Amino acid sequence: MPDELVSLTIDGVPVRVPKGTLVIEAAKQAGVLVPHYCYHPGLPVAGLCRMCLVEIEQAPKLQIACATQVAEGMAVHTQAQAAKAARRGVLELLLINHPLDCPICDQAGECELQDFTFQEGRSATRYSPDYAKRFNPVEDFGPDVLYVPNRCILCTRCVRFMEDVAKEPVLNVSERGDRAYIGIHAEGRLDHPWAGNVVDLCPVGSLLSKDFLHKARAWELDKTASICTGCSQGCNVALDTRDNVVVRVRPRSNLEVNRYFICDHGRMNYRWMNRGDRIEAPLVRRGNELHATDWDEAVARVATLVRGAGSRAVALVSAKVSTEALFLARELFRGHEWTGAFQVVMGEEAPLAGVPGLALRAERAPNAKGAELLGYGRGYSAALEAAERAAIVLVLDEPDIAVRCEGVLIYVGTVLPEGARDAAVVLPIANIAEEDGTFVNRDGRVQRYSQAKPAPGMARPAWWVFAELGAALGHGAPVATAADAFARLARSVDAFRGMGYERLGFGGRPAAAPVGV
Amino acid sequence: MSVGAQPPPGAGIEEYRPVFADKTLERLNEILTRYPTRQAALLPALWLVQEARGWISDRNMAEVAEVLGLTPAYVKGVVTFYTMYHQHPVGKHFVQVCTTSPCNICGAEAVVRALLDATGAKELGATSPDGKWTVVEVECLGACGFATPVLVDDDFIESVTPETVPQLVSRYQ
Amino acid sequence: MGYPHKPHPKETVVLSKHFGEADAKSYKGWVKRGGYRALERALATEPAKLIETVKESGLRGRGGAGFPTGLKWSFMPREKKKPHYLCVNADESEPGTFKDREIMRWTPHALLEGTAIAAHAIQAEVAYIYIRGEFTEPWAAMEKALTEARAAKVFGDIQIYLHRGAGAYICGEETALMNSIEGKRGNPRIKPPFPAAAGLFGLPTTINNVETLAAVPHILTNGAAWYKGLSLSSPKSTGTKLFSVCGHVQQPGNYEVTMGFPLKDLVYELCGGMRPGRTLKACIPGGSSVPILDRAETESCLLDYEGVVERGSMLGSGGVIVFDDSTDMVYQIMRLARFYAHESCAQCTQCREGTAWTTKILERILAGQGTLADLDLLLDLSENMTGKTICVLSDSCAAPVVSGIKKFKSEFEAYIAGRRKPVMVA
Repeated sequence: MPDELVSLTIDGVPVRVPKGTLVIEAAKQAGVLVPHYCYHPGLPVAGLCRMCLVEIEQAPKLQIACATQVAEGMAVHTQAQAAKAARRGVLELLLINHPLDCPICDQAGECELQDFTFQEGRSATRYSPDYAKRFNPVEDFGPDVLYVPNRCILCTRCVRFMEDVAKEPVLNVSERGDRAYIGIHAEGRLDHPWAGNVVDLCPVGSLLSKDFLHKARAWELDKTASICTGCSQGCNVALDTRDNVVVRVRPRSNLEVNRYFICDHGRMNYRWMNRGDRIEAPLVRRGNELHATDWDEAVARVATLVRGAGSRAVALVSAKVSTEALFLARELFRGHEWTGAFQVVMGEEAPLAGVPGLALRAERAPNAKGAELLGYGRGYSAALEAAERAAIVLVLDEPDIAVRCEGVLIYVGTVLPEGARDAAVVLPIANIAEEDGTFVNRDGRVQRYSQAKPAPGMARPAWWVFAELGAALGHGAPVATAADAFARLARSVDAFRGMGYERLGFGGRPAAAPVGV
Repeated sequence: MSVGAQPPPGAGIEEYRPVFADKTLERLNEILTRYPTRQAALLPALWLVQEARGWISDRNMAEVAEVLGLTPAYVKGVVTFYTMYHQHPVGKHFVQVCTTSPCNICGAEAVVRALLDATGAKELGATSPDGKWTVVEVECLGACGFATPVLVDDDFIESVTPETVPQLVSRYQ
Repeated sequence: MGYPHKPHPKETVVLSKHFGEADAKSYKGWVKRGGYRALERALATEPAKLIETVKESGLRGRGGAGFPTGLKWSFMPREKKKPHYLCVNADESEPGTFKDREIMRWTPHALLEGTAIAAHAIQAEVAYIYIRGEFTEPWAAMEKALTEARAAKVFGDIQIYLHRGAGAYICGEETALMNSIEGKRGNPRIKPPFPAAAGLFGLPTTINNVETLAAVPHILTNGAAWYKGLSLSSPKSTGTKLFSVCGHVQQPGNYEVTMGFPLKDLVYELCGGMRPGRTLKACIPGGSSVPILDRAETESCLLDYEGVVERGSMLGSGGVIVFDDSTDMVYQIMRLARFYAHESCAQCTQCREGTAWTTKILERILAGQGTLADLDLLLDLSENMTGKTICVLSDSCAAPVVSGIKKFKSEFEAYIAGRRKPVMVA
């Protein structure tokens, strides 16, 4: 049954929204951003920064858009003289104690105080230089978070996040009046598994990530949509890169998966994307040594080896590899007696109490469900045993592999582990920051990620490698794009029927077949 | 750290003596029956701590938090909001003098100066050298017609003037 | 009576009848004076009927807002589906006001009786009386009275508890008061939701001032028409009001007069007028949060809700602060601004930063470093601080500043021009 809809105008633009919608949200539909600080769609309404004051016809006073519900026939004017004057007033007041730290503040370039002041604030302050600005020393709140009280605008987003979303009230507002600051108690640091979100939520450079401190300027960053690889929850993230190095991971909002948040484990888990010790060229065995060569020779060598070997094939794969690659790796052995298996590192689950269905999951890999849907099993030790007698063993990006194999060992991966030095052929692939692809999260949601930086040397996306190998073995034409790879997958596997990159977009879609938990 | 936990041996820290034990715990339990939530007993609980110890330390706040099912940070946020809770030790007698306008125009500031002098505290908020007095200025005490009102601990004294200050102070010596 | 003075013939003594009588504080003493009979009858009356009577009487909230009490009670759900609460606002902290204190320390049972009647009228089974932490004597009187009354079982099923505040003027704001009872920082809440829909612990709640509730037993005993008749001018303001007069008068104290009483008479006659050789310069009629009246306005002002509005101010809490010609208006306005800066809860930007900035500018003027531009700045700041925040503390800081600059501009200019010696250090 559809929600009752309400019609109103925002700055003259008509919109129709469900009853109960806040004016500030309705305004977004009209393409109007009402300036605000304390409001956040993922947090309970506080209504205290007073920045979102707007004029509403027939209301005697200005109203805050974040706490006013739409009404039939309401006419909202965000640019009315009184509203603009009120907002200019709020900005001036926020800046009287706020230090002119922009040159040394991490938030510069992505700071909402800068943005709105530039947009509608005064160009000069009327606060006499004779007055000292409020001063409190920087405080270390815990594992990753620094608090700079002088820059704080007391929007209380951080306090509300910890209290109502993380459900662990370890931050408070201390003192009263203009002496107020965000406080913490000695017993109870900011070490909650999801605490890092307060840094994203902070509109200014008051709560800072120690990991990102002074690392890069916001305007130097390229932002790419991706999916977190820390666990099977599949939180949507943005990879921030500077000069082709991933320097920061931030949440991307997805109301179906992680809403507006990511956990600290995922947030900090990006350094491996920048590893330098990568395999940069295809390697083939000549005599007792592996020699670097080109793709043509490597592909041809693999094809020869596979054609000449027996039919027993075992694939040991990582659950961190794209669905496209896993599919094409399986296709490679069409006609063989095939066993595919993966293993997943387990860890402690850490839910975000205020968001049902969201947690740092015990399975620390992003594509275990994808592997399952494609027929890979969890019987890893059995597969290892079978590998000892198999004719062909394919190991896909499993750096801890310790496989003994009598037959042909093909290693496809990003780094070259000890256990792969007996391989007949080693093929270098891109890591997930260096390619397009998809993962299927634990709830069966298929989600796309995009390339954020170039792959090193001659490394190629794994889907491309397997498509080339497959073509060499007569299993079909090579594939030019990840989208095409996915399209081929969607044609063959029921769970993905009817899907395509365009339809998936960057919000993802649930897989078709019923998925078990 | 939970209430009653033992510090590591040889740590040189005094063992923490809980406030909510025996009679005080009984009183808190009675207070808890007045409200549908444990949190609502927070202000009364903090008064009990200040009554027992003279001030409220970070450790006390952690104890209150544990007893009421709150976090220490939450309790601290509340303590720092209300000006009557002391967050550090004060003199044996805590003196509050109203200096808001209605009393101000009736000579409240002179009363403050007289008190700072007579008690030996000398500076607002400081404790006198003999540890007996702390004098602070407060906002309207709700006795404007009886200017200048002075609170000495729980004794509300009306109509204090610089002339009657020495007599007031001597009552507590 | 105008305690500590004898009742003046021009007073209409109702609430203050027994101020100063030590015996009135005890249960027996109160019953001897006719107490608790109204409660007994009320407990046997339909809540809806009680609400009607109070509505008829025209009783308006005596805490400062002047909202019609019967109407407020009628906002509570008629059909009771969840627990209801009554909160009694005894946080009296508005500078210039000291009437609730007197009601509680001299006639605690009057408040208890009014509380129980109100609780019954709004179908509340629990009432919390929120007494500010500094009111040690009223607390003691109320505690003793409550113990005695409970023992005499006069409240029926209604539970009354005392709850002690801990030093925050803002807890006198009704939603902040509820937060304080719930064990939180005394932050006012955004409305909606309104207390009658979701108040204390999220349940239907009514908050009433001490003086308001003390009037209820009298209204029930003598009738709504009687209460309505106690009015000299406006029909919209009925009954009597305790005016707390303080500052530069010969006999400060509480005076009980009917609505519409001339402020001039209150100051010059009942309070004994100015000190020898002094003339009236200014008067704040309703506690410090309302605009300042100059001499002409004071001498022509009638004390009811409409009459004071006509003079450009508000009746507010009825805390009448009288300033004679010895007063440094600039200094006192600074002191008031400092009061608001101390008491701001810190939620709203305008209040948190604006009250402190206002104070700083005024201090600078008093230190001899102000400019004329500062006056425009103060007015602009005050405009920014008015009508834009969760509660009206911000507006309350602006009121004396705006009215002060308007009516006593020459005093500000004297400091700015250096004609007056600085009284503060920068």
